[in-house]
Amino acid sequence: MRIILAEDNDILRKSLSFFLESKGFTVDQFSDGKDALDSIKINKYDLILTDINMPGISGMEITQYVRETLNLDTPVIILTSSGVEQTELDSFDIGANEFIAKPISPAVLLVRINKLLKIKA
Amino acid sequence: MNTDNPIPENELQRLAALKRYNILDTLPDHAFDDATKLVSYICGVPIAHISFIDESRQWFKSEIGIGVSEVPREISFCRYTIMESKMVEINDTFLNERFKDDPNVTGGFKVRFYAGVPLTTPDGFNIGTICAVDHVAKSLDENQRNALSIVAKHVISQLELQTKNIELNAQKKIAERAVLAKDSFLANMSHEIRTPLNAIIGFTDLLAQTKLDETQRDYIESVQIAGENLLLIVNDILDLSKIESGNLTIDSEPFNLKKTLKHIYNLLKVKAHKEVEFNLFLDADMPETVVGDQARLNQILVNLIGNALKFTDEGDVTVSVKKIEETDDRYSLRFSVKDTGIGIPEDKLKSIFERFTQAEESTTRRFGGTGLGLNIVKQLIELQKAEIHVKSKEGRGSEFYFVISYKKAENTVDEVKPISKNDLGPLKILLCEDNVLNQKLVTSVINNFGFELDIAENGEEGIALLSQNKYDLILMDLQMPVKDGYQTTEYIRNELNLDIPIIAMTAHSLVGEQERCYKVGMNAYVPKPFKQASLLKAIKNVMNQDVVHEKKRFIDFSILDEIASGNSDFKNEMITLFIEKIPHQTEELVAAFKNEEYDFVKKIAHNMKSSLDIFMLTDLTNCLSIIEEDALRCEFTSDTADKINILNCGIEETVKILKDL
Repeated sequence: MRIILAEDNDILRKSLSFFLESKGFTVDQFSDGKDALDSIKINKYDLILTDINMPGISGMEITQYVRETLNLDTPVIILTSSGVEQTELDSFDIGANEFIAKPISPAVLLVRINKLLKIKA
Repeated sequence: MNTDNPIPENELQRLAALKRYNILDTLPDHAFDDATKLVSYICGVPIAHISFIDESRQWFKSEIGIGVSEVPREISFCRYTIMESKMVEINDTFLNERFKDDPNVTGGFKVRFYAGVPLTTPDGFNIGTICAVDHVAKSLDENQRNALSIVAKHVISQLELQTKNIELNAQKKIAERAVLAKDSFLANMSHEIRTPLNAIIGFTDLLAQTKLDETQRDYIESVQIAGENLLLIVNDILDLSKIESGNLTIDSEPFNLKKTLKHIYNLLKVKAHKEVEFNLFLDADMPETVVGDQARLNQILVNLIGNALKFTDEGDVTVSVKKIEETDDRYSLRFSVKDTGIGIPEDKLKSIFERFTQAEESTTRRFGGTGLGLNIVKQLIELQKAEIHVKSKEGRGSEFYFVISYKKAENTVDEVKPISKNDLGPLKILLCEDNVLNQKLVTSVINNFGFELDIAENGEEGIALLSQNKYDLILMDLQMPVKDGYQTTEYIRNELNLDIPIIAMTAHSLVGEQERCYKVGMNAYVPKPFKQASLLKAIKNVMNQDVVHEKKRFIDFSILDEIASGNSDFKNEMITLFIEKIPHQTEELVAAFKNEEYDFVKKIAHNMKSSLDIFMLTDLTNCLSIIEEDALRCEFTSDTADKINILNCGIEETVKILKDL
């Protein structure tokens, strides 16, 4: 299974991708939203895991582009942290499958990923 | 050409109503796009839209077949529709006097058919339209017209819902802030109450040590009991506010369990009624030492046993501790407090753990108490990942029990060797304290110890005295006028370059404060109201350099370990990354805070939270959240500065610990 991970915080990004790789996933990691989206355009991913606020473009814009322009139903998990972000998400149903609030429990993340991948399979 | 520019009578109110929804220039939204698609399907038209009309333009929230985000109001068909209360349908614009020469009919969007329903707010303002448009003449049937009106109503409902959600969130924010304000109010109040209480208890102690006749002794004892009860209540309230704000943490230090239990037993023995047998049963194979929070266990048991003794007139009160499970690294211990007292009616068994509740309302008057004790006990037990249970029969007695799992101690606790007062010899001590009562109290206590004491009213005076005389030790109040305890300590350490031991004395009980004291270079910390014994112990500790022990932050690596799944290289790599990045980011944050660069502060604070999460530095993440929110509101207060300070100290300490690993 191939996952793309977009998160601008180095420690969190490296940690999550190490964790997911140790669970057998292939992880492509990006710290810039635009680079991540470019990679989504040319590669096939089983799941998209993205932060909201990043340099380049935001996780919400990535999701919207994936759903509306690329017309893909790839599962999208958005990592949220502040209450402000939650408000924005509440107001705009942008087609993400899951929201996981930071701080992220690796175990919870794994469960949600597996759940989404199973549903799709 | 049509140059008519109709303006509704209530235009100003109408615009105000539109503004309330904050819908203009927002991102596309599925709910509206779906409604637009529905209009296009139902009416069988290639062009459909939902739009809002402000002073100068018609802005499209959602559109099919238009391709622009707005048009000037003067050329909008819908400027007429918002004048109406019902649907406007123009079957063929070529035959319509008003529109036949309109640029959007002859060219532009080539509108031949137009049907528009005004979007009317619940208070009656037409803020926009939902429309079906075609390039050919047509006519809607009754069902289509009905459907269009229904969709229009749904669009308004959707808008209302979003606005309500945003309002709700704003209210939630206000409520959360109120809780924070309440917590800090409680913490501050208990500080204010504890300062004079400190003096009352201390002087009563001193008075009790003088020669008194029987009546006087009786009076003094009553004052002592009342003072201690009052202190318990204040501490209860402070504990509750700390638990609620998530600021109460459970320690994990080795402690001698048997000694702790015996100490509690001896302490409470005196409270037992004459006809009550008070027992302590310890399991033979109970461990001597465990790793956990001694103070909290103490608090839980004192509370439960205190209740049992209070409500039992005859029979017995039995405290028993039993080992029920042992694994490689943990013990599970069952603590039970059983009495033959008045018992609890069955229907009250649940509510006794609620705040300000006692089994009977009359109980409060007969037995006293705040009604906070059991609630705190319950929460303290839950914080240790356990659960409190109660069994009781009215008139027969009650049993409270819980099972706590403690880590095994790796080796036995190093007992601090008791040092007798004489070991220290004559000491010359400097007290920096502005409160006259506390000055007198400390003077008596220090004289009792046989030491000499000089008093400074504030930090500046203290520094002056320090340059004139030679002292062995400084007792430092934290809140003082002119120069407070932190500033004074910083000056002594950095400007005077003195390593004289400094003991902080404070009635503050706020999280992070102790850390801050150590960070600025103090050597020990004595909370007020202080017990003579604990002050003496602190003095001995700092005077005996070998025993000087800094309370270190405990870093919880469980998330990082879970992520690393046993790969220590990766764990180290993350730790190195933390050491490389975070101090630098903290510096940037501090600088941006000083320059009031709100946006940058918000960005850094937000980013740092994710890093700190991995190392489970929850207290520091909480600081960052508050800083981030304050930055978002573009308003820094002294509280923000405090958080920045705590964060800075906490990060420095964390990095130091990580480097030493």
